[in-house]
Amino acid sequence: MNPTNPNGGDGSGGGSSSSGGGGTGSGSPCGACKFLRRKCVPGCIFAPYFDSEQGAAHFAAVHKVFGASNVSKLLLHIPVHKRLDAVVTICYEAQARLRDPVYGCVAHIFALQQQVVNLQAELSYLQAHLATMELPSPPPPPPPPSAAALITPPQFSISDLPSAVSSMPASYDLSSLFEPMVMQPWAMQQRALHDPRHHHQFGGGSSGPGSPAGGGGGDLQSLARELLHRHSSSPSPGSVPCSEGSPSHSHPK
Amino acid sequence: MISNNPTRCAACRFLRRRCPQDCVLAPYFPSSNPERFACVHKIFGAGNITKMLEQLPVHLREAAADSMFYEASLRVEDPVYGCVRIISQLQHHILEAQSEILKTNGQIASYIAQQQLQQQQQNVVDGASYQQDMQISEYLGVGSDVQTLANDSYFHP
Repeated sequence: MNPTNPNGGDGSGGGSSSSGGGGTGSGSPCGACKFLRRKCVPGCIFAPYFDSEQGAAHFAAVHKVFGASNVSKLLLHIPVHKRLDAVVTICYEAQARLRDPVYGCVAHIFALQQQVVNLQAELSYLQAHLATMELPSPPPPPPPPSAAALITPPQFSISDLPSAVSSMPASYDLSSLFEPMVMQPWAMQQRALHDPRHHHQFGGGSSGPGSPAGGGGGDLQSLARELLHRHSSSPSPGSVPCSEGSPSHSHPK
Repeated sequence: MISNNPTRCAACRFLRRRCPQDCVLAPYFPSSNPERFACVHKIFGAGNITKMLEQLPVHLREAAADSMFYEASLRVEDPVYGCVRIISQLQHHILEAQSEILKTNGQIASYIAQQQLQQQQQNVVDGASYQQDMQISEYLGVGSDVQTLANDSYFHP
C-alpha cells in the first residue's frame, strides 16, 4: 500500500467517489472509514495508515480515546512524511490509555524514570566504591544501597515528570515502544496507594489493570510491526530509522 | 432542578455551557486554569474526557485528569511524537547509565585483578626469600632465625 497524497480533505462527507473510489485505491474502504461506516474518498487522510483488514480495530482505539475529528485535524497539520510516525505514536497512546484508563502511557514513563533512578543510584555506589579502592589506605567500601532502596520506588507524581525538553533524540526507535514493559508493578502500587482494592475492572475496552503488560505489549508490537512494515517497502525521505521486528533496547532490570 | 456552580469551571466556560453542581469536569479543570482544559480538549475532546472520567472511580479521576493533561501537553508541544519523545529520552538515559555501570564494573574488576597480581608477586618474593634463608641455615647448621638476623645486619648495617 503506497501512501496517498491527501489534498487537505479528511475524508468526511460524501465526495465524488466512484464505485471504486476508496482512499486505498483498492476499492475497499480503509479501516477508519470502515469503522466510521462512511465512504472512503480518494485522498482520505486515514487510508494510508489504517488498512481495511486490521486497521479498523486499531482505529477503533484511536477513535475511542482521541476521536476521529481530533486525529484528522492533528494529521492535517503534520507534514506527510511524518504522519506515519504520528499515527504509530497516537495508536500507542490510545492503546495504552485503553489498557490503563488512569495513567495511560504515563505509566510507561514512570516505570522508565524509576529505572533511571535505580541505575543512577547503582552507578553512584559503584563509582564511590571505585574511588575508595584507589585511595592509599582505602577505608571500608560504602555499604551498598539497600535492597529496599533499590526496589521501593520513590513516590513520583506527574509534576515530577519531565516536561518539554529542548534536546530531541537523534532518532526514534518506535518498535521499542511496544516492549512488554514492567509497568504493572508501579501502576498497581500507585492504585494501592489510592485504593487497597486495586483490582478494579473499568469500562470500555480496557482489559483491566491486573492484566500482564506482556499481553498488551504483544498487541502493540504487532501494531507497530504492521504499520512500520507496510511503509518500509516504500521508504520516504526523512523517515525515522526504526528497527523492525524484535526491539533493539534491552529489557529493564 | 440542578443548581449551577456560581463560577463555571474551565471546561464549561470553554464549552459555553452551564456548569451544574455535579459537573464531572469541574473538580479537575478549575476556572483558574483555562489553558489546562483547552490543551486537553484539543487532543482528547470534551466528550472523550468526560466519558473516560465517568468510567473511573472518583478517587482515581484526579490522577487520570492529570495524566491526560500531561499527555495532551506533550502532544501539543510535539504533534508527531508526543509522549514518545520523553520515552525515547528516558530509554537513552537508561542505556547511558547501563553503559557507565559496565565500564565502572570493568574498572573495579581490573583494579582488583591488579591488586591480586601484586599480592601474588609479593608472596612469591617472600616465599623465595624464606626458602633461601632455610637453605643457608641448613648448610651452616644454624637456625633460620639467626641466619635471617645475620642477613639483615649485613644488608642493613
